[in-house]
Amino acid sequence: MSRGSEKPDESPKWMNLMSFRTLLVSSMLLRVFLIIYGEWQDAHMEVRYTDIDYTVFSDAASLMASGESPYKRTTYRYSPLLALLLVPNSIFHRSWGKFLFSASDLLVGLFIREILKLRKVSEKVCTVSVMVWLLNPFTFTIGTRGNCEPIVCAMILWIIISLMKGNLSQAAFWYGLVVHFRVYPIIYALPIILVLDSKLFRSGQKPPLEDWNTLTSSTEKKTFRLKSLFSRERIMFGLISGGVFLACNAISFYFYGHEFLHEALLYHLTRTDPRHNFSIYFYHIYLHYERQFSAVEKLISFLPQFTVQLALVFSFSKDLVFCMFLQTVAFVAFNKVITAQYFVWFYCLLPLILPWSRMKLKWEGLLCIILWIGAQTHWLLWGYMLEFKGVNVFLQLWMASLVFLAANTFVLVKIIQRHRFSPLFRQYVSSDRKNVEKLD
Amino acid sequence: MGSKRGRSVIAATFIFFAISCLNSISTTQVGTSMLDSDTFCISDQYIMKSYFTTQSSLNESEFRSFLRLQRCSENIPYEKDVPAVATLQHREVAGEGSHRHLLTTIGLRQSHLHELVIVERLPLGVFADPFELQSLQQRRAFSDVSVFGDTDLEQPSFRSNRSVVEIHVEINGNGEISVKLPLHARYQPIGESGYSRVEFVEPDLFLCSRYVPDQEHEQRRCLVLSVGRSKTQTRSVVWDIPAGIRSHTEYVSVITFVAAVLSAFSILVASVLSSKVESCKNTKEL
Repeated sequence: MSRGSEKPDESPKWMNLMSFRTLLVSSMLLRVFLIIYGEWQDAHMEVRYTDIDYTVFSDAASLMASGESPYKRTTYRYSPLLALLLVPNSIFHRSWGKFLFSASDLLVGLFIREILKLRKVSEKVCTVSVMVWLLNPFTFTIGTRGNCEPIVCAMILWIIISLMKGNLSQAAFWYGLVVHFRVYPIIYALPIILVLDSKLFRSGQKPPLEDWNTLTSSTEKKTFRLKSLFSRERIMFGLISGGVFLACNAISFYFYGHEFLHEALLYHLTRTDPRHNFSIYFYHIYLHYERQFSAVEKLISFLPQFTVQLALVFSFSKDLVFCMFLQTVAFVAFNKVITAQYFVWFYCLLPLILPWSRMKLKWEGLLCIILWIGAQTHWLLWGYMLEFKGVNVFLQLWMASLVFLAANTFVLVKIIQRHRFSPLFRQYVSSDRKNVEKLD
Repeated sequence: MGSKRGRSVIAATFIFFAISCLNSISTTQVGTSMLDSDTFCISDQYIMKSYFTTQSSLNESEFRSFLRLQRCSENIPYEKDVPAVATLQHREVAGEGSHRHLLTTIGLRQSHLHELVIVERLPLGVFADPFELQSLQQRRAFSDVSVFGDTDLEQPSFRSNRSVVEIHVEINGNGEISVKLPLHARYQPIGESGYSRVEFVEPDLFLCSRYVPDQEHEQRRCLVLSVGRSKTQTRSVVWDIPAGIRSHTEYVSVITFVAAVLSAFSILVASVLSSKVESCKNTKEL
């Protein structure tokens, strides 16, 4: 979706009809319809539309509403905040949560547009990018089935908007909250801290952003100064987000004790699920389940993940959104457990990087999509054989996981190669001060 | 719904048999084993309720001796010489894959007790989902159902203990009763052949007088139809569940690690090259 290939008279007619407002309204109607349909399907068919996790959240919320601990509900492994948000399920209607999640999903669409508009992306490209999120079948089913990931995505995007507008404390507050809610955003800590370089970002001022139209970026030679490592902005961000994180955990611990620590935090950090999933590690974990892993073995299996995260951060942290996208894809791909709901974590960041990609849909883009979806489908077929036909295909299923990792790696490398690197913040140069005011 | 579920959740595990009612007329019950046609009384909703509070295994003889301790108080009427015959007509595990149904058909001939209680002691390796059973109960498949023991849905079988499902079915008169119990396979211990065989024992059957919710502490009489009858005439019901193969262990671990390292390396190289290209481009333009 390179800027250079756009010509106004060549745009297809349907794009003119699809203004952003129409897109938003039709997405909203689609989601409302799906929620209502979901209620019907649950009542009348053997296979339920609603995700099993939604039942878990609702049960935990009703336990909380009657004054008990939500962790009494087995497999509830989230922050008590989520149960709190769903308390109206027992008061108003059991679909309250689904409406909340679908609303967050639409909010993500709005935030995507806001972020792209802040960087002066053209209207057409903006609308297509938002469509990639709002019209993605995975996206509209996940909220309407009752999965809570859209809330996390909305928070992450809001953090990006706050940083782009220079609201450091707001960004830090929401960052602390989102890490408490879902542990994975901790991987963004390093790139955010790195981007809060005082040459690029000063709190209290709206930072100058690198526009979509800019062809070259001016980067000064990097000179390393120890003093700049501990800039005021970085310390503030660290303190505020750390404080919010600890406060949320302390309050939850006060109310729910050790159960909260084990179920909501420690479980996610030490989770090794031997049951089959997309991860390449599942069979290895299953075969070794009877004996525990030694510390060395755990460290060795963590090394690839760690190395990739560091490599991505140090190569791309200036282009913050792109870095976050790559980190999320890599994090999911190298994780010990991969379930389909984790994909939403990078689906919400994908529309934000598309305007800077030189990859054309024909044929490179299509190839990436087909390979990635194909590898998943291949895995799902073997998974079906195992779970629904009862045939021992563990080895083949594991090989399908290896193929999926290969597909992820290929797509990731292609995206890196076709990306037009564009730092989020433009460098402050002393003669630029006047220009900064003019741009605003 | 909440209170009923609360009752069945709180009604944790019953001790197997309620107080067995020793009557001077019935002289056939002697020794340590409980034979058919013994009666006993329970004062809770489920026969299994307090068993697990004192016992931790599903040992048959422990179950029987527990039941012998369940005595009826004097004021419970006893109708002697009431014949009750139950025959296990059909038993199989139906379906494919990890989610199957245990089908049991029982032929019954009796007249005065109205609740058939089936106690399924599930083998290690399968489990019943309490929430699924609750929704079946709401759809009137059973009049009451509860799961006792280990109901952890996520543990593989070598880490979990066995569980027991107690099903109550209302009956009127004689006839056939069919029960379809949904079961799920746990992850099995790894082996050599790739499959792990799980065998089902016959269920324990009792006939009880109808449970009245208001009279929770009133005793009600139960008649033993069969307890722990070993697989004699019928073939035992089996389920072969896929399991990991031990001989795969070495090379799966090595190849997994190699794959992870190769992928990580490719991404590392792509990132470094890409950022080098960018910095070259910038220095050229400057």
